[in-house]
Amino acid sequence: MKTLQKTYLKAWKKANKLGPEKTIKILKKKGLTGRGGADFPTWLKWELTRKTKSKERIIICNADEGEPGTFKDKLILEKNPENVIEGILIAAYCIDSKEAYIYLRGEYAYLKDKLRKTIKKILKATKSDLYLEIIEGAGAYICGDETAIISSIENKRGYPNFKPPYPSQKGLYNKPTLINNVETLANVPLALINKDWNNHSRLFSISGDVLRPGVYELKIGTRLEKIAKKVQAKNPKAVYFGASGGCIYYEPNLIIDQKNLCKKNVMLGTCSLIFVNKKRNILDIAINIAQFFTHESCGKCTPCREGNIHILNLLERIKSKKATEKDLQLLEKLSIIIKDTSLCGLGQTCTNHILTAIRHFKEDFQVK
Amino acid sequence: MIKLRINGKEVEAEEGEYIIDVAKRNGIDIPHFCYNERLERIGACRLCVVEVKGMPRLQASCSTQVKEHMEIYTHTPRVLEARRVNMQLLLANHDLYCTLCKENLLCKLQRYASELMIEDTPFEILHRYDEIDNSSVSIRRDNNKCILCEQCVRICNDVQTVYAIGLVNRGINTRVKPSFEHTMKESACINCGQCVVACPTGALTEKSDIQGVIDALNSNKYLIAQTAPSIRATLGECFGIPAGTPVTGKMVSALKQIGFDKVFDTNFGADICIIEEATEFIKRIKQKGTLPMITTCCPAWIKFGEQFYYEELNKNMSTCRSPQAILASLVKTYYAKKINKNPEDIILVDIMPCTAKKYEILRPEFKGEADFVLTTVELAKLLKQLNVDFVNLPHTEFDDPLGFSTGAGDIFGHTGGVMEAALRTVADWLSGEDLKEIDYKEIRGMEEVKEAEIDIAGMSIRICVVHTMGAARKLLEQIKAGKSPYHFIEIMACYGGCIGGGGQPPPHNKERLAKRIKALINVDERKKIRKSHKNPAALKIYAEYLGEPGSKKAHRLLHTTYSKKSYV
Repeated sequence: MKTLQKTYLKAWKKANKLGPEKTIKILKKKGLTGRGGADFPTWLKWELTRKTKSKERIIICNADEGEPGTFKDKLILEKNPENVIEGILIAAYCIDSKEAYIYLRGEYAYLKDKLRKTIKKILKATKSDLYLEIIEGAGAYICGDETAIISSIENKRGYPNFKPPYPSQKGLYNKPTLINNVETLANVPLALINKDWNNHSRLFSISGDVLRPGVYELKIGTRLEKIAKKVQAKNPKAVYFGASGGCIYYEPNLIIDQKNLCKKNVMLGTCSLIFVNKKRNILDIAINIAQFFTHESCGKCTPCREGNIHILNLLERIKSKKATEKDLQLLEKLSIIIKDTSLCGLGQTCTNHILTAIRHFKEDFQVK
Repeated sequence: MIKLRINGKEVEAEEGEYIIDVAKRNGIDIPHFCYNERLERIGACRLCVVEVKGMPRLQASCSTQVKEHMEIYTHTPRVLEARRVNMQLLLANHDLYCTLCKENLLCKLQRYASELMIEDTPFEILHRYDEIDNSSVSIRRDNNKCILCEQCVRICNDVQTVYAIGLVNRGINTRVKPSFEHTMKESACINCGQCVVACPTGALTEKSDIQGVIDALNSNKYLIAQTAPSIRATLGECFGIPAGTPVTGKMVSALKQIGFDKVFDTNFGADICIIEEATEFIKRIKQKGTLPMITTCCPAWIKFGEQFYYEELNKNMSTCRSPQAILASLVKTYYAKKINKNPEDIILVDIMPCTAKKYEILRPEFKGEADFVLTTVELAKLLKQLNVDFVNLPHTEFDDPLGFSTGAGDIFGHTGGVMEAALRTVADWLSGEDLKEIDYKEIRGMEEVKEAEIDIAGMSIRICVVHTMGAARKLLEQIKAGKSPYHFIEIMACYGGCIGGGGQPPPHNKERLAKRIKALINVDERKKIRKSHKNPAALKIYAEYLGEPGSKKAHRLLHTTYSKKSYV
């Protein structure tokens, strides 16, 4: 896998030679975008943080990988933490930061020791004065949201906050903060020195009813059918695009790229595909996902906190064959209002799976 | 200045303003639970959502800043539907026995449900069985009615820096609770009741003593009431009288009508308090005692001090009791003797702006003095229950001899008032003159910290007035570090002082509190006697009973002691 190629600080040396402006310019030219789900241009995030007036700036590496079915950051942290740390060092150099944190998912605590040793080694090798600390999450899904990470590191309840102000303006301890995903940072050194690097190559986390689950490096633009074949998905009925989008959809000829998916109201997010075969009922999948969001809703805003439990109740009602057409309508209406009025990304996407499942797999939602 | 449109109408706004505030200025009161002008914005309740042209989702107007040429719509079908559904979600998880709720007719959830014409909720009712926390003597906590707007948590943590309550659990199980599964009584709560005022529903209410008072009124005991300085400026609001209208005479009539034998004025206690406090302050200055001296009229601040700063600051706290405790002491000693009654046959009911007074009267130092405390809101409920047609009552004067007060006593009800009253007396006594300049305007107003340097008889006295415990904590830290430049500090726990107390009718916005303050200042300015040490009734008590100010007897009856309190 290209993403796992080690760059051995060559990119860091190059960045130091080029200076921040030119380094950011290369990232812009290469078109690196965020791999945490939003696909936001990385160079722009860096530029915005760099330009905010402040004596101090902070970097957070978001390693709180929690999107359903996503496990690519885990692989990177296991196999190539060096590039992630090099990416952090380059970012620190470019935005003039002396303080950085890796916010590590609670379940990945076993990686902490190795990560710490690697940090020590690299900081020594580069003679860097960067303060780089690993902070362990406590297991809340919401803390993958960038504003919630900030609250969590500040020792507050892991609650998301409204934007603007964006972290690049006012982040951790009110200082301009750059928050990048693990895969994004791992790609920074690669994008800087590899001539053949491009933004189309992504890590896909593939699981579900497949014989060969795992992380695959695939090109954006691959047909879904081809992926299904590669991972040996038998009789696929649907794919749950697990990450921050959460849609359920299937079409063999579907071309997996953001633009194309957008037309179908599907979001690619962190490139996680959970295959579902024809033996399964989509309603069961929807219930499983609704249970997850009911459990992980942080409790701050009304629609997400109070709404998800009713989404689950209504789905279970359909499952128990007691539901009427009215219940189904209510389910759709509530799904739309949770999306429309919630505070953060969790609430704004947590009912996508319901809306897409009802649209594309109506036969599994039988009501009286 | 930027221009934008709200519902098609062009309006002007400053850059950085939020939609909800611009709308309010233009006559549109967008419904909201979590938004409070004094607190950090959190955008949690999502009731204030509006449609903004060009934005795919509805926007929370409390946390969205206006922009040039923005087009905002506050009541499209999409907006109303979203508000209605979010309300229905809250109602499905709420104790819906409205008529059996203390907050019935005062509740904001009820009001918006009515305004949005919600007649049912399509969602399954989630029955909550949260235990009601009745452990505190001041505050009743019923989580079955909580809608998680977090106003109480923000007031307690951000404004008061007490951290008695916070959020526990996650998602649908989120609750407001003291930490470590403690009850309110075991928590660090200072009983200020600011959370009660902020709570839009019946989740946090004052602990009611109304039934006890009704029982007392029907007993054959001798009933005496005392009314705190700020009540006269706020009680009327509970009966639809505009804010800022003093209702002193009607209040006395009402209390007489429901069966009180005598109605005294806590302001008289305030005058005595100033005489003692001024004596203490001058003594500290002349004998180089511990300075700065801090006023101790506020029981919430006293508990705060005893919990968090006892070792460092107990010597800075004035030993003088609060006006309430002074009057209670005089009623059960001096007055009982005067009317030949056994103190046990007298029941004293305090009408206070404050939930912490319920705690104060139970302090061991004041045992056997005041019997009940009713807050302003409770008194209004009691009067309504006893069919008092408050608005049409005539004017009645307070009873003698503990009902006469000077203007200095009146201003105790707002921030800066105690200091101003004290300065009037201190200045006269130190200069040996009857000074004409007695308005200390530099310490009036709603600023959280007000300081001044005052020249009295060639002596420069540095004073500071502070309200809310968060602001006070900064001054207390300064004293602890030995860096306080002040001689004399007034601390009030509640925003605006007692007129913004935990027992006053909500909401406590700046505009309303300013009107209440104005009312008290007007009462003061209309009085002939405006200095505590000129109160003839007070001077008579000293001559007849107490002796000199600061005498041994005065100390026994009018002063108190403090002790360290634990809070974990």
